[in-house]
Amino acid sequence: MRELRTRLERLEVPEEHEARERAWQLVARAYAERGPAPRPRRRVAPLLAFAAALAVVAAVLSPPGRAVLDTVRDRITGVQGAEPALFDLPADGRLVVDSPRGPWIVQADGSRRLLAGWREAAWSPFGRFVVAARANELAALETDGTVRWSLARPDVRFPRWHGDASHTAIAYLTGSRLHVVLGDGTRDIDACGLPAAARVAPAWRPGARFVLAYVTTRGRVSIFDVAHCSSFYGGRPVISAPFRDPRLLLWSDDGERLLLVTDEQLVVLGTESAAPLAVRTLRDVTAAAFEPGTHRVALAREGEVLVLDLDGRQAPEVVFAGPGRFGSVVWSPDGSRLAVAWDDADQWLFLGPGGRVEAVAGIREQFGRFARPVAWCCPG
Amino acid sequence: MGPSGRDERAWVRGAQAGSASDLEALFRAHWPRAYRAAYLVVHDAAAAEDIAQEAFLAAIRALDRFDRRRPFGPWLHRIVVNRAIDWARARALRAEAELGEHGVPDREPGGADGLARAIAALPPDHRAVVVLRHLLEYTPGEIAELLELPRGTVNSRLRRALDALKESV
Repeated sequence: MRELRTRLERLEVPEEHEARERAWQLVARAYAERGPAPRPRRRVAPLLAFAAALAVVAAVLSPPGRAVLDTVRDRITGVQGAEPALFDLPADGRLVVDSPRGPWIVQADGSRRLLAGWREAAWSPFGRFVVAARANELAALETDGTVRWSLARPDVRFPRWHGDASHTAIAYLTGSRLHVVLGDGTRDIDACGLPAAARVAPAWRPGARFVLAYVTTRGRVSIFDVAHCSSFYGGRPVISAPFRDPRLLLWSDDGERLLLVTDEQLVVLGTESAAPLAVRTLRDVTAAAFEPGTHRVALAREGEVLVLDLDGRQAPEVVFAGPGRFGSVVWSPDGSRLAVAWDDADQWLFLGPGGRVEAVAGIREQFGRFARPVAWCCPG
Repeated sequence: MGPSGRDERAWVRGAQAGSASDLEALFRAHWPRAYRAAYLVVHDAAAAEDIAQEAFLAAIRALDRFDRRRPFGPWLHRIVVNRAIDWARARALRAEAELGEHGVPDREPGGADGLARAIAALPPDHRAVVVLRHLLEYTPGEIAELLELPRGTVNSRLRRALDALKESV
């Protein structure tokens, strides 16, 4: 039987090395996201304090250090004359705000409620409910936090709710499997047994009943009809070429453009084939949102907020610049405001027509550290 | 050759404490056999990758609770082989709507190797016991424990599988 073992070990297995490297990328990312490791009990605190004190002295004394401190001061400053608190929203609708303490529901009049313990909330199609996740649970909640239903599933991520007046469904990831469950919490399925999903939120195609796009662990974009497990592009291949380091996937609200944001590129897909309409190089984009009714997309990255027309060839327009990180961009439902989380300035900006900037300060105190608007829904 | 028990315990301890390099050592020591085992059961490279990958993701989720006195391999192999069996059974049951990546079938494993074809012809449960016994080198008793089967069932599956493979071997 030793011969059998030797032959089993020598059998050719396709893509052995490529599969290993792809898997390692995913495993390493999951490990990095799993939260802090228990702190070892060592007597390093005095050493750390001494090192920190040395660093501060070095920073103050050296010219590069002073430059760094100046930058930090700039970041703290933010927009002058900002409102000290969020008193109301500058356009109709309600916001979902993500924060480490949980999602906040913010009404147009500025009143708010924390859905403590949940995360990654997303609106139902008409904004009556939100879907949210906990480590091993998916739930539909009323906006006051009442749980309508919940499902126990491991490692739930990226729930996204879609539908019309008669049928709704929620797509989400459990581990690297893409699942779809009906809006009433029934008939949860592994979506068509498709290849495993990368850690990127799936995106429902607006205007179509149950057409879903997601990114596989190999960085390919797949678009398919959930109800029939069938190809979207009339029988032609539904899966794009692979793209490295996918981060975000989003549809324009007419369902005609699908944007994949990777670490280094913007990949624009259309509805005629799986071949990209355009690929543009733009590094380190951290957030993106389509302007309602257009193929223009707002993009955030270190130091700037851009707007780019995906149908044109122009360079992106810088609509705001400042030091530090911008954590999210969200359009108001009427497209009149772009909400931007300026993390390092502890401010939210509402960019309006004609370059108007309305700023709100004290975000950390009101909503917690790294609180960011992530969805703006449903006027009225 | 698998990692030594001492190495493995050190990697698990390091990974629990937040060391990405220890996690990587653990991953690289166990990935080849996990992927190969999954592939030999499901005969689909993409599915095998998913299965092995999800087993490692499950390991990360359970890392803080993992008992370092126990070996990591059997724990991982239990997940891999059970998921591979489930996948192979489900595939046999459903009429496959081949999509995209699944549209192009994998090459016959091992090319013209008769052993590969013979393994592919076995039922998934039989493939699993062959892989556990002859690739991962578990005893029938250990296999019974991993798959939660009576030992007699494991032995009979092994015997039937080996009879079927005899000509190839």
